[in-house]
Amino acid sequence: MAKNKSASKETEVKALAPEAIGVKNVSVSALTPNPHNPRMLFDRAPLQVLEGSIAKVGILVPLTVYWASKQKQFVILDGQRRWICAQNLGMSEVPVNQVAEPSLVQNIVTMFQIHKFREDWELMPTALKVEVLMKQLDEKSEVRLAALTGLDRAVVTRCKKLLSYSKKFQDLMLDPDPQKRVKADFFIELYFVLTDRVVNRMEWFSKNIFTQRMLEKYQKRAGLKSVLEFRLMKQYINNARDANKESVISKRLKEFMENDSLTLDHLIIQSADVSASARKLLKSITKVETAIHDFSVQEFYGEEELWLSLERLLKLIRAKLRAAGRRLKE
Amino acid sequence: MKRPFPPGTPIDMQRMRRWMADFPGYRITVTEERVDRWIGQFRRADHDLAARVLDSVDFITGEQITAAFRSILKSIPGWNVEEDQRDGRWRFVPFSSSSGESGDAMMHKFRLANGLTSKKHKDLFIWKSDLLRADLGPEDTVVFVDDFSGSGTQACDAWPETEELLPGKPKIYLALVAATVTARDRIQRETEIVVIPHQTIAETENIFSPYCDCFSDAEKNDILRYCRRSDRTNPKGFGDCGLVLVFAHNCPNNSIPILHKSTQNWEGLFRRYD
Repeated sequence: MAKNKSASKETEVKALAPEAIGVKNVSVSALTPNPHNPRMLFDRAPLQVLEGSIAKVGILVPLTVYWASKQKQFVILDGQRRWICAQNLGMSEVPVNQVAEPSLVQNIVTMFQIHKFREDWELMPTALKVEVLMKQLDEKSEVRLAALTGLDRAVVTRCKKLLSYSKKFQDLMLDPDPQKRVKADFFIELYFVLTDRVVNRMEWFSKNIFTQRMLEKYQKRAGLKSVLEFRLMKQYINNARDANKESVISKRLKEFMENDSLTLDHLIIQSADVSASARKLLKSITKVETAIHDFSVQEFYGEEELWLSLERLLKLIRAKLRAAGRRLKE
Repeated sequence: MKRPFPPGTPIDMQRMRRWMADFPGYRITVTEERVDRWIGQFRRADHDLAARVLDSVDFITGEQITAAFRSILKSIPGWNVEEDQRDGRWRFVPFSSSSGESGDAMMHKFRLANGLTSKKHKDLFIWKSDLLRADLGPEDTVVFVDDFSGSGTQACDAWPETEELLPGKPKIYLALVAATVTARDRIQRETEIVVIPHQTIAETENIFSPYCDCFSDAEKNDILRYCRRSDRTNPKGFGDCGLVLVFAHNCPNNSIPILHKSTQNWEGLFRRYD
């Protein structure tokens, strides 16, 4: 069954690949980069290595291009580095493998597959491409979107969080002035508060107004200094819920939103207990961390119970981190 | 830049009334008291210079902005208010979207100026984040709207992202109330955007430029000294533009900082933020 599913997925991705037409030589100047290429900046050093190789033996693997009927020019689907090198070397022609003009969705999928996502890229343009795929393919599953694009599932999740905001806020992440552009992290961290069930039950709560006010407070550094403080905010809301003090936290959160002079401390209801517990827990974890760091793998190689216990611990830590919305890296 | 009165012109009621008439409807109202306080930040011997700087301010009123946007849209090839007589699809997009920044406000003015406020024109106005989904092609047109470009840096630096949102290569225009020659040329050289400024600002408009003959070299040095006091980082305004340009809705940061900076050492007459 699992095999069938993966086979059908493969067929689907193949169906999205542009159809091959044939190989020929075209003038270097007749080609244009693909505007869907997520970023056109390439590191200089690897380019020089490729340039050296092309200078010696020429371009062995043809570039993949399509004829853009409306723009009336060849567009590069794959091989932009080879094309840059050919230009630098003053070559007049390059071998190309022409494929049929892709649809918007085919082009986006192909570009995602070729140009692997880098973490330092602004996330919003990527999110907008994911949005096109979601709409055109009527696909919401993060797993399938990740498979289709080659993006990490966590990246797809983050993209979907950004897309949950109104266009007005999405545009703030596309501002041409980098100093005024709001980082995606602000919206991703705030998302956990906005989707909290307790917060959504609050009578006065409006997602757009709350987001706007949090943005103002953050930009003015008026009671919000870091986007990570939204985690504390979420924690205080959770604590209030556990202590059956939803009406108190509702009132305080509204006051915090409206008043620039109030800091997050205004939301603390059971702070002392929770902070003390957190400190105690941290102390214990530090001890365990030191113990694990210090023991010799060779010495305890045959202590199966110890290794099983470590595996259980790892599983538990991963589950807790995931539940807290932390991004896990290998 | 307007030519200031000659040195030694009295700072009297008549001159004050003229300033009041010249700076109508700035977002933080310019009052006689605020002008007095602003001039009072200069040394007594430099009050005449301060007054001459105020004389030279080129203040663009709301009405002038409206007229500018009307004339810009008329000048773009293929536009017609009737959809069936337009070339391809048209979309108007705020260029800058920062909270409370000029892009949104400009788009609103642009709509009003061109009588495009009715429901049937709603689809013409979209967000930047709608562009990719709009799937525009070479026969279509995107008009980004903003008030001013002083150095062209933002438009050029953001070009790769803008281009990524417009893969179908529509015609792209940037409608601006004003732009420096430097900004216009740079944007047109480094991007595929056609810049349409209603007013083009030449190098002579840079108060510190050797081509600016409204102030002597000694006066320019004195102005720069006060500018340094108000803003150490960009004493000649962002991009060293040295402008004395103010819009009714805000003062561009390319204008000299003594006009707009609000710090412990200085209070600008045309503050940019509340």
